[in-house]
Amino acid sequence: MNTRQVAKGDRAFFAVSTAAAFFTMSLVFAVLIFLSIRSWKTFSEQGLAFITGSTWDATSTPGTFQILPMLVGTLVVSILGLIIAVPTSVAVAYFIEYMAPPKVAKIATSLIDLLAALPSVVIGLWGLYVLIPHAVTWSKLLSTHLGFIPFFRTDFDNAQGAPFIAGWTVAIMIIPIITSVSREVMGRVDKELVSAASALGGTNFSTMRRVVLPTAKSGILGGILLGLGRALGETVAIFFVLNLVFETNWYRVLEPKGGNVASLIVSKFAEATATEISALMAAGVVLFVLTLIVNMIATSIVQRAERKMAS
Amino acid sequence: MTTLELLPRPKDAAPWRNRSKSLLTKIALASVLPVVLAIAIGKAFGIPGPITLLLVFLPLQLLASGLAALSTRGKRGVADSQLNVAVLFATTFVAIMLGSVLFSVVSFGLNAISPHFAYQNNVYVTSTTSLEYGGAGHALLGTVLVVGLAALIAVPVGIAVAVYLTETRGRFRGPVRFFAQSMSGLPSIVAGLFIFAVFVSTGISRPAGWLASSALVLLMLPTVIRMSEEVLKLVPGDLRSAALALGAPQRKAFFLVIMPAAKTGLVTAILLGIARIVGETAPLLLTMRVNPNTNVNVFSGDMSTLPTYIFAFLTAGFDTGRARSWAAAFLLLAVVGLIFGTARAISAKSIKK
Repeated sequence: MNTRQVAKGDRAFFAVSTAAAFFTMSLVFAVLIFLSIRSWKTFSEQGLAFITGSTWDATSTPGTFQILPMLVGTLVVSILGLIIAVPTSVAVAYFIEYMAPPKVAKIATSLIDLLAALPSVVIGLWGLYVLIPHAVTWSKLLSTHLGFIPFFRTDFDNAQGAPFIAGWTVAIMIIPIITSVSREVMGRVDKELVSAASALGGTNFSTMRRVVLPTAKSGILGGILLGLGRALGETVAIFFVLNLVFETNWYRVLEPKGGNVASLIVSKFAEATATEISALMAAGVVLFVLTLIVNMIATSIVQRAERKMAS
Repeated sequence: MTTLELLPRPKDAAPWRNRSKSLLTKIALASVLPVVLAIAIGKAFGIPGPITLLLVFLPLQLLASGLAALSTRGKRGVADSQLNVAVLFATTFVAIMLGSVLFSVVSFGLNAISPHFAYQNNVYVTSTTSLEYGGAGHALLGTVLVVGLAALIAVPVGIAVAVYLTETRGRFRGPVRFFAQSMSGLPSIVAGLFIFAVFVSTGISRPAGWLASSALVLLMLPTVIRMSEEVLKLVPGDLRSAALALGAPQRKAFFLVIMPAAKTGLVTAILLGIARIVGETAPLLLTMRVNPNTNVNVFSGDMSTLPTYIFAFLTAGFDTGRARSWAAAFLLLAVVGLIFGTARAISAKSIKK
């Protein structure tokens, strides 16, 4: 085999891998471009009102398509999910890394990793039949005892389909994700640093506050943003437990009036006309841009944290 | 020379062994008293269980642990005790939630499942048909085919990208890694919309299995890329250099030395990628239609998969339909668990080596 043949073979090898790399990179743009082309009609017809209005009417021509309540609902549900998931996930990560006996920690780790891959349709099934009865009791208690707080005020008897319940469901989806990332970064905190802190007389609490959390901070933040990205794009689990209403509900989380872009797409898609499909694609573009921004921030934070940990 | 006499061991030489009676009593009191008190208060005032747990038991436990810590370790112990109680409480909450998910799938699933459920198809079966008839065999087969096709595309491409990231000095490694990572957050519904826009809206194809596979490829690629990159990075540089120094061309160094060395890790990467997509529902709802009959052709015709099977019976309502959903969810969970178990076993083996 002479050098020229070697060079040719290697060049082909590298060409294939480079092509795959560029193909992958181009996919993000392809998604954006294709969906934008298909939804251009909606964007030009509806204008800015597409994201600031709150009417969805496909029966009349030309039709009015506005998604503000869905966008707001998506944010509300995701934020509720984070409020429940972040403290618990960080606590579980701390438990696994610093409190649990090694055997328990090992089992818990693999269980969390398995649960991170739990299909969302299964979570939706669970949310619909197992969680909702409990969550409705909780909502009732919250609204009767804490109804003076604006968030918990409700004009309805039943909280079934309220953002609170959807937020809870989403929290169950993203807890394994945030826990798994937080555990990873907490595990990478230099063990000597932790021992040094206790040798200098630090308590568990002060070690956690002054050593573990500051070191693992950016990694945990990245994990939270990854969870947020997942929560924003979550479809099926929310579809089953949330009531979609075209009326903006900013903060009354116990009223059965919610919105969710991804669930909207699923619920309308099957019977949609061509114009409505274009509008749904426009909604998809908005959702994609939102999650892309969150994920890009998350990725750069995590990558920077990894570089810092490695050095 | 006189031998030195052994000094008597001081009594407080091992303070960590000093489990004095008063300490033990304090620990026992701090762990038992809040439970008893909380139950008593809850019963006495008729406070509902969950509220008792959160608003009576938790504060009581925090107080009791704090006091116990104060009397045994002084002021510095208080924060520790509060941390412990809070962490354990949160962990218990998560354990109950996730345990409840697993338990309900297993118990409801086992209630409804029977051997024929795993292989029969769904022809002539509606939401009210008794569970003695029909099953999700066609959906299981559909899931295997659709996910298999997706893996067939995503695995070579993903590993090739990982090769670009680890084996070459390409100038765009940073951006490629960045975009691949960002794609891991691509909402699954958007992946489905994209494939619909490219193939169905343009009239290239009717909804079919291979469209669903293409949508799943978008979701699987980031996982495969990241995991394979990590695995390939772990292969010692010496192996690489040795192969090249012996005159192997780079492609042969990769296929004959590096890839075999990373084999188990790559298999794990593939399995985790598959586990990530096997339960995806939203993209399948847009790119394929359910079919009660068995269809093995991914390139044309309607085809059911486990997630869409669950979804269809759930949206239809009815109790037997719901039971079918649980049974199918059990099958799906079993598939995910099987994939995970295999991945674990393989990576455990490679660590032992």
